[in-house]
Amino acid sequence: MIRRAILSSGTRAPEATSDPAILRRLAEGELDALGELYDRYHAYVRRFLTHATSDADDVDDLVHATFLTAAQCAARYDGRPSCRPWLIGIAAQLLRRRRRAFGTFLAVAASLRNHRAAAFDPRPALQARSDVERALSRLSEAKRATLLLAEVEGLSCPEIAAALGVPIGTVWTRLHTARRELRALLEENDGP
Amino acid sequence: MTALRCPRTFEAEAMRDGRLVGVERARFERHLAACPACSHEARALESVAEALRVLPERTPDELHVRRERTRLLAAFDGALVQPERRKAARAWSYGLGAAALAFTGALVSWRAQPAVHLAKASGAVVRASGAAVWSEHRDAGRERVVIEQGTLFIHVEHPSVVEHLVVALPDGELEDVGTTFTVTAAEGHTTLVMVREGSVVLRLRGRLPVAIRAGYTWTANTEPTPLSAPAGLTPAPAPAFPLVAAPADPVGSTLPRFTRTAPRSDEPSDASAAFRAAMAAFDGGDSRDAAARFSRFVVEHPRDPRAEDAAYLRVVALFRAGAGTDMKEAAERYLRRYPNGFRRAEVERMSAR
Repeated sequence: MIRRAILSSGTRAPEATSDPAILRRLAEGELDALGELYDRYHAYVRRFLTHATSDADDVDDLVHATFLTAAQCAARYDGRPSCRPWLIGIAAQLLRRRRRAFGTFLAVAASLRNHRAAAFDPRPALQARSDVERALSRLSEAKRATLLLAEVEGLSCPEIAAALGVPIGTVWTRLHTARRELRALLEENDGP
Repeated sequence: MTALRCPRTFEAEAMRDGRLVGVERARFERHLAACPACSHEARALESVAEALRVLPERTPDELHVRRERTRLLAAFDGALVQPERRKAARAWSYGLGAAALAFTGALVSWRAQPAVHLAKASGAVVRASGAAVWSEHRDAGRERVVIEQGTLFIHVEHPSVVEHLVVALPDGELEDVGTTFTVTAAEGHTTLVMVREGSVVLRLRGRLPVAIRAGYTWTANTEPTPLSAPAGLTPAPAPAFPLVAAPADPVGSTLPRFTRTAPRSDEPSDASAAFRAAMAAFDGGDSRDAAARFSRFVVEHPRDPRAEDAAYLRVVALFRAGAGTDMKEAAERYLRRYPNGFRRAEVERMSAR
């Protein structure tokens, strides 16, 4: 059976401001609810994805996929007052899947052509960035995403482990190495 | 300078990551207060975090955000959700129940024949009143239901979003974009279309096409209400967010476009007045004037949520006015500005004529 999205109707108050209320409406297939969720959180999701992917070309698609996935999973939302960590977790999972799906392909393509695809060449973008951004972009995507989830998005290590689908020990290791590498890179920049 | 050293420095990070709890954490916090090396490490970790938190944001421009928002909502609207088999069965039974109730109500209200028979077309369930005269055809992968007389209740299961059911009416046709609706015809005319779920596009000969959304009923004898809704379209029941179906659609419709009837409180009133005036000209058949007004609206209120509608309606108005060159220029402008717009396909079709 196919169910199409519907616009809100009936007697519901037009402004359901809490995140759980929006997600309940979204679970019922209300188009307006997705619009509200997007208006509220797209900037956060975009910021996370932009930094986590080093400004990859497909950030728009990842943001898009994050909200569509959220719409599909809205019925399973756990009811926390803010769904921002949940959305960021979805974005992180999509990032991980994307990395897995395209990692092999990119490696093969790079070895065949002996250079990386132009779309993934970070050099032009890096020139316009701050030291911290440049340093961050030199971390692996897995470490970068883990570090951003912990330090910027405020997710706890168990939450990160759940979002990324990795053991908590892996999260701790990634955080430790990410911080060590980032500090070393920043010290390089500060050096003579 | 000699680096500060302490064998417990690693605990600063362990505490930050929640690896130290209870007594261990309390002990290290006491140590931290007294140890310069560990407090230095804790500050260094915090400064890295702070540097990440203040990374510059590259915020996309507003138009880009709107385009992406539109793309998202269109994708969601068109998404096919495949629930689990049990859920589907339950939903189907609920749907049939609701449909039966709706149909019964419709029959009582419109004094139609009480007898009903059920027919299962390949992608649609058609329930007909006993007196209904209708048939079903399939050609070129398109399902077509022809109604001559009586009332049909139709529920459509779309195998894909692009394959729509078309109901041929005595005086036009009705394209199903949604899933559940009722249509009645009498004496060679369509008399009522009631949409329960999804949406349909009604095209009657000699009249402007009307997109009818869930919760709305179109009746033939209702007086036109040009400023808010196309002729004959009334909301039933009144939704919390009053919605108006899209106006003229001269070349067919893909996705219906809806706008709110009441201006939002944060919208400038002159924008609403300008849009209403343009719509009045449009509905009144003064296409040249409507095109000019929509053009002015787009220029003066580029950030208004109705700007895309205005840009599209300008193309339609110029199309109606037969201003081919201007229409093509307006179409190109729309396509440039809204590359993922709701009406892209229709604008492209008009432009290609």
